[in-house]
Amino acid sequence: MRRKQIVQPSDPAAVAAMMVMRLYVAGGAPNSVQAIANLEAICQQHLKGHYQLEIVDVFEQPLRALADGVIVTPSLTKLSPLPAAQIVGNLSDRSKVLLALGLQGKTP
Amino acid sequence: MTTACPGSKAEADHLEAETAFAAFIRRLAHDAATLRAIKSGKVDAILDPASGRAILLPEAREALRRGAAPTNQILATLPREEYQRLLAAGLEPVTLALGEVLHEPGELIRQIYFPNESLLVSLVTRIQNHGALEIALVGSEGMVGLPVAQGIGTASVRAVAQGTGTALRMEAARFCEALGTCLALQRALHRYTHALIAQITQTAACNCFHQVEARLARWLLMASDRLQSNLIRFTHEWLADLLGVRRVGVTVAASALQQQRLIQYSRGNITILDREGLKASACECYQKIKDIFDRA
Repeated sequence: MRRKQIVQPSDPAAVAAMMVMRLYVAGGAPNSVQAIANLEAICQQHLKGHYQLEIVDVFEQPLRALADGVIVTPSLTKLSPLPAAQIVGNLSDRSKVLLALGLQGKTP
Repeated sequence: MTTACPGSKAEADHLEAETAFAAFIRRLAHDAATLRAIKSGKVDAILDPASGRAILLPEAREALRRGAAPTNQILATLPREEYQRLLAAGLEPVTLALGEVLHEPGELIRQIYFPNESLLVSLVTRIQNHGALEIALVGSEGMVGLPVAQGIGTASVRAVAQGTGTALRMEAARFCEALGTCLALQRALHRYTHALIAQITQTAACNCFHQVEARLARWLLMASDRLQSNLIRFTHEWLADLLGVRRVGVTVAASALQQQRLIQYSRGNITILDREGLKASACECYQKIKDIFDRA
C-alpha cells in the first residue's frame, strides 16, 4: 500500500499553508486501518483538502521507514509546516493528534 | 487456533516462545515512549534495524489471521466488506472437539457455525429404541444452525462435531441482525438451504434402499470432499451410528472396500486409496448430492 492524497488548491496562499504528512502503516493490521480512518476524518474536518498525505506500508518499504526513524507503526509524521511532529498509535486520541498537528483551538 | 494443555510440554514451549518474543520486542523498543505505545495496544508492528524487516505484534497477527479469507465456502463467496461486517458483529473463530454437541433437538439454537475445511458436523436424528441416524453432513460447504436464518430459533436435530476442527461461530441473535443487511449471505444461504434439503432427501432414500457398502463409500467420499483430504478419522462405532447399522455391518463393508484396495483403515484412520474406484462402489446418491451442491 502506498497512497498519496493530494489536494492542490488554486490559491497560492493555500498551497503554502498545505500540511504535508506521512503515515506509516503495517498493511491491513487493525490499528493501521484505524489510524488511516481517524486521520482521514481529522483531515476532512480540519484541513478541508489542504493537505498532502502519503501512506507508506512498512512491509513494502521497511528500509525507508527505518531511515525515517520509525520504530513502531502506525506512526504519523508531520513534515510541514514546521515544527515537525511525530505521533505513534492508532490516532484515536483526537485532541492529542490535533495538538501535535498544531490544529487545536482552530475552528474547522 | 491452537491451544496447549496446561502443564504440557507444548504449553511450556509456547510460554518459552512468548517470553523470548517479548524480550526481543523490549530490545527493539529501547525507549520508554515506544514501550508505552506497544503496551497501549495501539500499534501493530515494530521495525527491526538488524534485519531491515517489519515484525507484526502477536495481537495484530492474530487479528489478521481472523480476518484472512475463510475456508468456509459460504463465507468465502461474500464480498470482503460483508465478511468484515460479520466479523465486526461477532463472528469469531472456535475450535470444536470430537463429539461436541452444538445443539440438541428441541433446544434453542444459541450459536451458528460455519465449519472450516478441518471440521465435519453431523446432523443426527434419534428414534426411540433404535440408534442414531445421520440425516445430513455439514462441512466447509455449509452452516450449522440454518433454521436461524429462516427465523426458526429451535433445533429439530442434534448437531455433533465429527472430529476436532475449527469453525467460525456467531451468536444466533447477532447473526439474525447481521443477516438483514448482508444480501450476498442471504443469497448464499438460500442456495445452501436448497442443497441441504436435497442432501437430506437423497440420504433418506439412500438409507432405505442401498446396501451398507455403497452407503459407506458414499459417506467417505462426501466426508473427503468436505475435509479436502483423503484421510478421515473415524471409528466403526461412529460410522455404524451415522449409517444406522450395527457395528459388524460397518466392519464387513469396510473390509470389502479395503480388500478391493479402495481404502485402508487402521485404529480409527480411514485413508481413501482409489477415489475413482470408491466412486464406482458408491451408490448413485453421492454424485446426485454432489451435482446439486456444485450447481447451487
